[in-house]
Amino acid sequence: MRTIATKIFITLFVVCFTSAPAVYAKGDDFNSVVKMIEEFYRVKHVGIPFLAKAGMKVATTAARIKGGTARRLAEAGSIKLAVFENQEFNGDFRKFRSSLNQALNVTWMPLIQTLSAAGEEQTYIFLRNDGDKTKVLVITIDERDATVVQVNLSQKNLALLLKDPEGTGKAITEEATLIDQE
Amino acid sequence: MKSRYKTTLIALLLIITSAFVARAQDSRIQLGSLDHLAAKASQTVDVNVDERLMKLAARLFSDKDDDEREIKKLIAGLKGIYVKSFEFETEGQFVATDLEPIRTQLRGAGWTKMVNVRSKKEGNVEVYLQFAGEMVNGLAVLHTDDKELTVVNIVGPVDLDKLAQLEGQMGIPDLGIESSKTKKKTNEQ
Repeated sequence: MRTIATKIFITLFVVCFTSAPAVYAKGDDFNSVVKMIEEFYRVKHVGIPFLAKAGMKVATTAARIKGGTARRLAEAGSIKLAVFENQEFNGDFRKFRSSLNQALNVTWMPLIQTLSAAGEEQTYIFLRNDGDKTKVLVITIDERDATVVQVNLSQKNLALLLKDPEGTGKAITEEATLIDQE
Repeated sequence: MKSRYKTTLIALLLIITSAFVARAQDSRIQLGSLDHLAAKASQTVDVNVDERLMKLAARLFSDKDDDEREIKKLIAGLKGIYVKSFEFETEGQFVATDLEPIRTQLRGAGWTKMVNVRSKKEGNVEVYLQFAGEMVNGLAVLHTDDKELTVVNIVGPVDLDKLAQLEGQMGIPDLGIESSKTKKKTNEQ
């Protein structure tokens, strides 16, 4: 009798007080998210060496990843970037959003998520405290391209992000991917 | 043996009940029932600034920067800011029943609809405050227009003056709230 009561108690306790999702990202969440996009949309990301061969965006992107001087928001050396170019992102964006949130909600805090035109453009910004640093993960997906950027932000830039999540989130992605005009 | 079993069950019921009571008194509105509208919307924005992020923001905003000092004061004591906003290409993409789960929560304990709240925005703006005695525990705003639906939920001690000042900051949309001289309406809607 005691065993049954204990089992019922533990089961109900777990059901009532935990909401741990069935799926969650382990270890390196950046790589998990990249893999998740690849599996969900059946696409492949382009590594930086490949971008170099193709002569695309390479100079500034690589420079920034190594800690280039043009960086304004991300802390030096903290950028992780995956780019998906010119591929079809067909799929139910609601399912994708749900899977992404389920995977990241254990360790990351969702800040803002925007969807436009029935899921043709999706932006997700998550934050995570990592000791004295705060990591920011920005995922943008549109009809044919996607980027996943993970950076460490200084306190000043984190304050900017919290004040204006949408604008600063876009700036982080632009900074990591666009050709520097300076 | 029987009495131990009974004790376990009673303890279990107490724990479950206390969990539900705690949830009922929370001024956090569950907005997930609106998620299905994202499929029809031309633009969806979902902002979640939970208690952890509020604490982080309070720590990060600088006292040296006028703007940040002001926001820091406004968010002091707040436990969360949650926004869900949908824009549609055409009219009639959402109906009253879509909002019913939200309204049901706002009919719950402590919530009071404020009257005489004006907004510069077109459409209908409803403002609700959750009171615990004389203290305000939370705020909810429902803005509906033919092609737009926005729900803002601020958890913690907040008033309309604070809301008006926080518009455009931390993911809160510009609702055009004019805060002066609001009145309570009995909660029978």
